[in-house]
Amino acid sequence: MASNAGGSSPPSASSPDGRPSSPLPVTNSSPSQPTRRSGGRRRRGSASPYASSPSLGGFETPPHPGRRTPSGAGAGAARQQRQNWAGRFPPTPSTPMSTDDIPPSSEAGDDETDGGGGGGGVDATPVFVWGTNISVQDVNAAILRFLRHFRDPRDAGRVDPVMDEGKYMRAIHRILELEGGESLDVDAHDVFDHDPDLYSKMVRYPLEVLAIFDIVLMDLVARIEPLFEKHIQTRIYNLKSSICLRNLNPSDIEKMVSIKGMIIRCSSVIPELKEAVFRCLVCGFYSDPVMVDRGRVTEPHICQKEQCKATNSMTLVHNRCRFSDRQIIKLQETPDEIPEGGTPHTVSVLMHDKLVDAGKPGDRVEITGIYRAMSIRVGPTQRTVKSIFKTYIDCLHIKKTDKSRLHVEDTMDIDSSNASKSTEEDFLSDKVEKLKELSKLPDIYDRLTRSLAPNIWELDDVKRGLLCQLFGGNPLKLPSGASFRGDINILLVGDPGTSKSQLLQYMHKLSPRGIYTSGRGSSAVGLTAYVAKDPETGETVLESGALVLSDKGVCCIDEFDKMSDNARSMLHEVMEQQTVSIAKAGIIASLNARTSVLACANPTESRYNPRLSVIDNIHLAPTLLSRFDLIYLILDKADEQTDRRLAKHIVSLHFENPNLEELEVLDLQTLVSYISYARKYIQPQLSDEAAEELTRGYVEMRKRGNSPGSRKKVITATARQIESLIRLSEALARMRFSEVVEVQDVVEAFRLLEVAMQQSATDHATGTIDMDLIMTGISASERLRRENLVAATRNLIVEKMQLGGPSMRMTELLEELRKQSSMEIHLHELRGALGTLMTEGAVIIHGDNVKRV
Amino acid sequence: MVGPQYDLVGNPLGAVRATFERTAAAAAAESGGADPVAAFRGKDWGAGDLFRSFLFEQDGLAKVPVLDASNLGLIKPNTLVRYRGMVQDMLGNEYYIGAFKDGSTWRTNKYTDFSPFSMPHPCDSHLWERHLFHCVPAPGQNSWTLESSPGPDVRRMSNCLAPELREKRKRDGDDDAMDVSENGHKESSFCKKPKEGDVHVSSSSTEVAGTVPEMNGGDHHIPGSSFSCLVKIYDMPESQVKLNDVIEFIGVYTFDPELAAPSDNPDDIMLDLMEDVTVQLPPSKVPRLHCLVWGKLSSHDFISRPVVEPSPSLLKGIRQSLLSHLTLVLGNDELAAQCLLLHLLSRLRSRVDVVTVGRLSLNFTGFNKESASIFGNQLYSLIQKLVPYSQAIPLSIDYLNSATLQPRKDNKSGRLVTGVLQLPQGTHLTFDETLLQTGSLTCKGVENTMLLKNLMESQKVDYDFEYYKLEMTADVQLLTLSEGKSNILPSDLVVPFRPSSVPTVNAGAEETESWRWYLATVRSLPQSTEPETYQMIQDEMVSAMRDDRSLGCSELSRWLTMAQIMALSFGEKSLSLEHWHMVKELERLRKQRMQ
Repeated sequence: MASNAGGSSPPSASSPDGRPSSPLPVTNSSPSQPTRRSGGRRRRGSASPYASSPSLGGFETPPHPGRRTPSGAGAGAARQQRQNWAGRFPPTPSTPMSTDDIPPSSEAGDDETDGGGGGGGVDATPVFVWGTNISVQDVNAAILRFLRHFRDPRDAGRVDPVMDEGKYMRAIHRILELEGGESLDVDAHDVFDHDPDLYSKMVRYPLEVLAIFDIVLMDLVARIEPLFEKHIQTRIYNLKSSICLRNLNPSDIEKMVSIKGMIIRCSSVIPELKEAVFRCLVCGFYSDPVMVDRGRVTEPHICQKEQCKATNSMTLVHNRCRFSDRQIIKLQETPDEIPEGGTPHTVSVLMHDKLVDAGKPGDRVEITGIYRAMSIRVGPTQRTVKSIFKTYIDCLHIKKTDKSRLHVEDTMDIDSSNASKSTEEDFLSDKVEKLKELSKLPDIYDRLTRSLAPNIWELDDVKRGLLCQLFGGNPLKLPSGASFRGDINILLVGDPGTSKSQLLQYMHKLSPRGIYTSGRGSSAVGLTAYVAKDPETGETVLESGALVLSDKGVCCIDEFDKMSDNARSMLHEVMEQQTVSIAKAGIIASLNARTSVLACANPTESRYNPRLSVIDNIHLAPTLLSRFDLIYLILDKADEQTDRRLAKHIVSLHFENPNLEELEVLDLQTLVSYISYARKYIQPQLSDEAAEELTRGYVEMRKRGNSPGSRKKVITATARQIESLIRLSEALARMRFSEVVEVQDVVEAFRLLEVAMQQSATDHATGTIDMDLIMTGISASERLRRENLVAATRNLIVEKMQLGGPSMRMTELLEELRKQSSMEIHLHELRGALGTLMTEGAVIIHGDNVKRV
Repeated sequence: MVGPQYDLVGNPLGAVRATFERTAAAAAAESGGADPVAAFRGKDWGAGDLFRSFLFEQDGLAKVPVLDASNLGLIKPNTLVRYRGMVQDMLGNEYYIGAFKDGSTWRTNKYTDFSPFSMPHPCDSHLWERHLFHCVPAPGQNSWTLESSPGPDVRRMSNCLAPELREKRKRDGDDDAMDVSENGHKESSFCKKPKEGDVHVSSSSTEVAGTVPEMNGGDHHIPGSSFSCLVKIYDMPESQVKLNDVIEFIGVYTFDPELAAPSDNPDDIMLDLMEDVTVQLPPSKVPRLHCLVWGKLSSHDFISRPVVEPSPSLLKGIRQSLLSHLTLVLGNDELAAQCLLLHLLSRLRSRVDVVTVGRLSLNFTGFNKESASIFGNQLYSLIQKLVPYSQAIPLSIDYLNSATLQPRKDNKSGRLVTGVLQLPQGTHLTFDETLLQTGSLTCKGVENTMLLKNLMESQKVDYDFEYYKLEMTADVQLLTLSEGKSNILPSDLVVPFRPSSVPTVNAGAEETESWRWYLATVRSLPQSTEPETYQMIQDEMVSAMRDDRSLGCSELSRWLTMAQIMALSFGEKSLSLEHWHMVKELERLRKQRMQ
């Protein structure tokens, strides 16, 4: 190791984490310092990027390029730096450097060494930063190379003479042109790509390297625009690895770290004195500005005016002093980093100048900064230093991150907008790789099914349907303006105690923007949107309801049957058009409500009556019912097989039985990321074969209704079903992260639909599937029955009664009819039949009497 | 390798330093001058072992006084103490100069806040970290837990220790000088400090003495949630300790009033945010404890009974006596007593997603205000005698509207403000719902009700962290006394209470002791898993479902829980058909009553 500027070679014992703990590093006592310092020149108005105070000791103003002498310029600078940094731990009010330390000077940098003080100096011996193996010249040169020559790989394709300069040179020019920016944001990834060695040095010795960075930058600026007065500060961001707040430890001290967290508190902005101006009370002479050195200002003892020379007459003039802003914020771990049974850690972050007020309490941010520790002085008068240190982070860069709980989706949002490679993208691409791997598993569909509410036993097909809902189909918008929804709506009808509500709760947890409401407590406006008067201004404002709030999510409505009809009717629009239209109180608006509806209802008689149709079981309008893609009946059937499975499920919950619970299941977190990734990035298209299969299957379904020999025409599928089928198969393809909907997806979609239909749309009289049940509420067989009845009644009337003859009582008619036909006929049915005849003009009904006309 | 024998109780730091210096010297010799101390970061160099062997092998534990509110002023700083408390808040890490080079020797500051030697400037040093925990006496801790186990010993101990201490205090200066000369390092600043400290100690001791009787007055709850302790733990991953754990710490009690001195340095105004929370816990109120050895406490640790193999026959006998006592307390209602026994033995066994397995909350219905005051009080005082932590909560509108149930993080002060529901694992809560009148709940009341319901259903408490809620798992037994079935607190098991006599019973101390042991033992018994059992249970469930279609998942699950506890209550590790049938019979009787 070459000779150190301070004259002593760094002791081998000093490890990076050992260094800061020494309250006053050795170099401080270097005898050559004062002279060198006084020989240096300081340019006016060079604001220190890092604040300093006696107790905090943020690091000091980096020395100015102008201070350099040709030989060993870097050395002087670096040593100066080093010495200034020693002020980080000013435990004692120890004698500051001599007062003549800072002779005012308004000159800008006078000379330059070759290549910005790089290794070009012929006679320069390598100079090292104390205690490290960093050669100042090397770093200097490396930084200059980086700034000058780094080109964004993304720009590589562009051939543009103007763009010929490197990314950061352009940035510097921009700063100079706009005169606004005072900082240069440097992406650490770029540094790494350009020079990994420089990156590692920067992370390990940020104080030293950043100071050199600033110097190089100022040199560069001074050469381009010698009159540029402002200090440009380097802000590093986007480190390659970010550390968890909890894992910060003493070895990270004085390193550059990047941590994520949530701001929980901000201090008020504290003005910090940078330059002090004094005025003589005797003669009114204003002194030259005095720089703050390590948090202290030295008041001139004697008035400098030749004629005055009064002693102890100087007083501080506040409004002539220069101040900089500083703020302390408290950063707390984000909830997802807190281990079970722990409480979040916090760390203080020191913000300077422009960074002040960059974040508000509650914001989630990623902070790049230098982790620092400072000793605690016991009292102002005591010399003793406690052995305890306080830690904080000197903030270099702050970046706001997502707020939502669905971090994967949202961080991706940010990334795609930034189009920048960031640490979290690295982290994410990692995650995405994992997800993709998962998606390649042959049993992913089953695995996902198992992972959905694993504690709810059975109901596999229902869970599959719910999965489809979570993944969703592709919304389609035709150029003509017509749009087809991609969201899948599901209705669960079932006996009480069949864990419908639990399923709902689970879905609510899983879906990106889930809203959970209970039908009984929901009003129409509460679900859609309502207009309210602002209590203060009196203006009418539109407030979103649950459906609007769950745009692009799942709206879970429990106790759907207990909802008022009025509220339910609001759902018509939402479920097909996916908008909520409002026209009242001067507001006419149409709000997006691209939401999937998951509703669950109890049968009207609390238990499902298998004798009645779905419509009769749940009092829902068929029009609304038809808008559900899948309707599941969850019935508590007396079935030994299901009972046994339930028993097995309960037992396995209670005993950790390896045989029973060895199913591989995705945890909730993974499942959520999987779904959100698929929803965002996978847009499957129907393949030709799949489309063919879809057509074939649909035709078959339709055919099933008109099987030869059967007189009645049963509708087993409608156009709505084909839309549902497309959505379902798209969702199924998404589950595999497949961009193409394949035949297998279509087949499975048919199966799912059929399972659901079998349960809900089966006409109990005939045992066949009848879409009319859902579309109109009356099955084809029922309709046929009614027609028969009407015919029978007509015959009877023609037979028994004379035209214009005496009337007959309805009960008599009923008796006769019952005698004739084998059918079970109720009075109300007869009344219905007679009603039909009356419209035909065949009979007249007077109360209970029927008269033929 | 016990070197110069230090008084480990009286001067633990001396021992710590001696071992350190010896090990460091040895390491330095070995490594040939390279940094020998770096390896000691986050590690123990033998001091811990020394204390462990002293405490547990040489019976030193009995010599260590227990630190509590009553003797806070009496115990000399820098001595070894024991402290039992619940981790109420975790205050993060603290960095300190762990080791520094004084001339040619390495010194350590571990286990103290102050460097006993002035650190030369500059010097080589190492920054180490330690974890801070704010501990309070476990809420709801019952008085017997203090008397039992180490209790009597320690009481006597501290009683006889006190005069000794006082004597020591007289020759304080000498004492310290001796300590120091023992170390072979005379250090003037060190000698003076403890004296200043002592002045404070005596003043704070009078202050404490003034408040102690009052704090002790509050019935069976441990006095002074106001008495807390700041514990500093070394050399362990923080994840080992969880919030609300009840832990016994053995460590060095330090008292440095200087630390409390508010810094009136005007330069520091801006530092208020940087100030760590310890500032609000002045040493004169909150003693500091540098922990050498620690261990989590289970309910077994409170029981002084000698360790006995829990044989089924022994357990069966105690079960019978406990059951008959419970029956008497419950006015000869045997069904209720059976259910209560199962309830007392229940504990959270596992958590599958949102489902909790093993809990059995109980709701006795049919109480009115009068009977609640008769039976409820009897019942509660019995529970107090049986379980280590218990609380009775009067569930009135007023209470719901005003009580702070939810623990809340105060981001201003950086501390967790405790709530009623911050409880150690295994706490028993008794709610008296007969006090509930019609009335309206405020916003807070609704929130509190939701918290209670959530606790009941999923054994979780949401802690309020201002910007988000953090779910903390809990294991709390909940007993509700109400007029009809409680809807605010939906219990697993609802039993109509039918007393036929008025309880007038008092249990002997010996018996109570054995019951405590029984409850603690049975609750910790492991459960065996045999494939035949699964099959048998499954068959039973299927047939039960066939008989009664109304049986649902939750009911069957509860039956199984009850059957498991039933089996355990007899000391059987595996569930047999017999226990299943006992539970079914119990259920039949209960259902009969419900109609």
